[in-house]
Amino acid sequence: MKLNKRYPRSIRSYLSFYVSASVLTMVTLLMFFLFYTSGTGVKKYADDFAKRNNRQDAQFETYEDIPDEAVKSLSSKYNVVLEKDHSVNFEEPDGKRSRIFKESKQIDLCEVTDGSRPSNENEVMISLGYAEEHDISVGDKITVGKKERTVTGMFLRPDYLFMVENESDTYKNVDDFFLAVLDDKTFDSSFEEANVIYKVIYNDASKESEFRKEINSSYTMLSYLDADVNGRIHYVYQESDTYILVSWILLATVPFVAVVLICMILSRKISKEQKIIGTLSALGYKPRTIMLHYSIMAIIPGLVGGILMSGISLLVSGWFGKLTEGSFEPMEPDYSVPLPIMIAGVVLPTIIYYIAAMLVTRKILKYNTVTLLSGSVGAKNAGKKIFTGSNLKVRTRFALRSVIGNPGRSIVIFLGIFLGSTIVCFGNAYYDAMEVLADNPQSQIGTYKYRYYLSDYGEGIYDEKTDVLINASFEAGTDTTVNVIGADEGCKRLNIIDKDTDEPAKLNDGWYISTLAAAMIDVGKGDELSMKNTLTLEDKKIKISGIIHNDYDVFVISSRENASKVTGIDPKYYDCILSDESIDFENGEVALIITDKTAKKQMEMIADDFGTVVYTIILLGVVICIASLYVAINMMINEQAANISMLKVLGYKRSYIDTMVLRGNHILLIPGIVLGIISGAGLMKFFSDELVSVTEMIMPVEITLRTSLITIAVVCVCYFGSLLILRRRVDKIDMIESLKDNRE
Amino acid sequence: MIGGHYVYRNKNAKKQYGTGDAAVFALAGVDLTLDKGKVYVILGPSGSGKSTLLNMVGGLDSLDSGDLIVDGRNIASASKKELLRYRLEDVGFIFQFYNLIPDLNVEENIQVVSEISPKPLDIDEVLKALEIEQYRKRFPKELSGGQQQRVAIGRAMIKNPKLLLCDELTGALDTKSSYAVLKFVEKMNQMYGTTIIIITHNEAIADMADCVIRFKDGKVASKVDNAEKCPSEKLNL
Repeated sequence: MKLNKRYPRSIRSYLSFYVSASVLTMVTLLMFFLFYTSGTGVKKYADDFAKRNNRQDAQFETYEDIPDEAVKSLSSKYNVVLEKDHSVNFEEPDGKRSRIFKESKQIDLCEVTDGSRPSNENEVMISLGYAEEHDISVGDKITVGKKERTVTGMFLRPDYLFMVENESDTYKNVDDFFLAVLDDKTFDSSFEEANVIYKVIYNDASKESEFRKEINSSYTMLSYLDADVNGRIHYVYQESDTYILVSWILLATVPFVAVVLICMILSRKISKEQKIIGTLSALGYKPRTIMLHYSIMAIIPGLVGGILMSGISLLVSGWFGKLTEGSFEPMEPDYSVPLPIMIAGVVLPTIIYYIAAMLVTRKILKYNTVTLLSGSVGAKNAGKKIFTGSNLKVRTRFALRSVIGNPGRSIVIFLGIFLGSTIVCFGNAYYDAMEVLADNPQSQIGTYKYRYYLSDYGEGIYDEKTDVLINASFEAGTDTTVNVIGADEGCKRLNIIDKDTDEPAKLNDGWYISTLAAAMIDVGKGDELSMKNTLTLEDKKIKISGIIHNDYDVFVISSRENASKVTGIDPKYYDCILSDESIDFENGEVALIITDKTAKKQMEMIADDFGTVVYTIILLGVVICIASLYVAINMMINEQAANISMLKVLGYKRSYIDTMVLRGNHILLIPGIVLGIISGAGLMKFFSDELVSVTEMIMPVEITLRTSLITIAVVCVCYFGSLLILRRRVDKIDMIESLKDNRE
Repeated sequence: MIGGHYVYRNKNAKKQYGTGDAAVFALAGVDLTLDKGKVYVILGPSGSGKSTLLNMVGGLDSLDSGDLIVDGRNIASASKKELLRYRLEDVGFIFQFYNLIPDLNVEENIQVVSEISPKPLDIDEVLKALEIEQYRKRFPKELSGGQQQRVAIGRAMIKNPKLLLCDELTGALDTKSSYAVLKFVEKMNQMYGTTIIIITHNEAIADMADCVIRFKDGKVASKVDNAEKCPSEKLNL
């Protein structure tokens, strides 16, 4: 068919459109693919790793030791795998801290990634992340347990994929903390008093509750940590789930707007060809043939963009994946794009563009051939009569009228500005959120410098420079661990300001919940909250009287008396001290110390870690901004070619032509950017709400002046940059050819 | 400046489109001199080079070789800026398909030129002369072909050009509208002394010219002065 010869000619004529539309399709889909492959890659690796190394379902400590015989009988009775885990913590002479393990045999197995297991007292195997961080190789000598030993190998453990020293830490530490494994004989002979925790795998989930109750009644549970809330295990899933969620949200928003934009441009291009469509129709071409012809031309951006996206994602998904796994122990996830999704990435935009072109062509073909040949389909005067009585210069009237009188074209340009602003604002708002989280923890948490969790209960008050608290762990909602706190109403060092009244919470009168806990469990003021004691599994209910603004901690708080009724801990006791100064405790008196620097440092590290990803979003946002604006402005210049050539014939200077044809669209910049910023904030809010249960953080939705200015600057640079590039096209418009085209 | 005895002179003007075997000499050495204030009609078959000549004279395109002298200035060697000024001040164009700007109404389509012209005519006077005063707020789509062409004449004349170049100005019009349009072109020549070049296939229009030039194969085949001009309304269109 001779019509086929139009394909290469059309591509040549509209090359810049096809290139920019393909790039726009490619980049918007690439954003989805990168986050999706990163999330699924890490998650699948963690699942496989957990399965082959028997990852625990939970770990717990008991007041009384569980004898080996009892371990066997409990395992059999409740169909569980139960194993003791022995470890000792050491402060090494070089200031590093080691946690030395006796290698587990049933649960949380060590997977040797390099070298071999130690076989005598002079040998040690260490955690892979620390070895890589400090360039330690097999055969090197390091001090472990205050004794120099030869490194025989490196390992990973499923319960330490996220290497945090303390369970409450939220960021990895491979700088001065590592795991070490000695051979069993050396461990037993070297450390008589090792820390013991129990690890369990439930083969029959229905017996979990009964098992825990028996452990508590027989051996007194001191702590219980489910794998789903154990940061060392959970954080890998939390981050991968975050990326998967991000990818789906991006897919549902950015490519959607981009596809709408391209479909609108395609529709306008086809409408512009109505005289050719009319001619083909007059020549006897069947409507189906004409529709097919234009639909095939329309699939080019989808096909090229999809194929480019697949190729580029194959090349960069591994690199991007590595960026996102910075928090974890060195892993080898497979970041390859699943073939069905890759095919969908090529096929879906192609089909959408195909259908859009088909529908527009069909609509045009409904007009009679004479109307089509006259080129009057879609020509309306609506909106063009404004400013007729105005004293404005004609070229200003023309500029304004071409924006207002051509709503379809203006919407395309507006969408380009809007899309770019949305992505750039979102990327920056995301970054701001991380910065705010890093900047504000102490102002929300409290004024204390040190927070000591005691190994045993204290009584009365500690001293006047401290506040004391009761703490107990409860489970609420779905897999949410809530800290139940009992405090005195005059507690000064903990933030207990009622969010609604801005006054200190009346702890004696009721229960208050932190904003983070409220968001995670989805409860509010006046609601009843059901909780289960993590240790005793007792069910308790409290009524929420108010909310305390704290986006970092998951807690409910009341007076020590009220907390006592829920936790069962006598109100005269305490197990947590908040202090303005450092306190010298005896060895073993303190289970955990958190300083005012801890939260800030950890949040800063998270911000840094996410920074790379956020910059990637912003970078892709800039590319999307340029591509979408380029494609929209390019379309506008093509549509105005006849007017531009006529203005040139009339002797119009370039600056006047710019004013009439290009600068009128400047008025779309302000609403485009403003609505884009609002949309970016909306996207951020949606993100924040959706991510709260995954990340256990409330990401503040604050559009700062910095974000606003960056968004305005980036979009303006992209917009004016596109105009500058495309201005050359205005120069290149040939007066004679354009007038001839108009004649056709 | 229209001061010399001629408004336009073309010396051995050449213009080629395409290269090699596909080369077409649109102008294959044209020597032509036109005097100011006269009406010229250029006739010739398609591809004879008449439109190319008009584009060259109008400063829309450039010659490959030769000179194109308007009022003593060689347009063939003019810079882009000089050509722009030349189009703005000296030349008015009328096209077969009017080429009005659809987003502007009648008045604005004329104002768009008067605003940038150094010495524009009075717009009301031009609208009145063209008998389109009553349509001044209408948009091109709301006008007939003849009315649109009158607006195009107004747009071309508002700058009071030395040269009015008309490319098949009645080609898209019915007979009645053609008479009307030609009447106004004639009127412009009489009112403002504008030199007018009309390119057409329509032999009948030749009768209203002071001089008839015939083109063939990119060259001037003949140039004949009309001893007696026929008023436009008496043309046998």
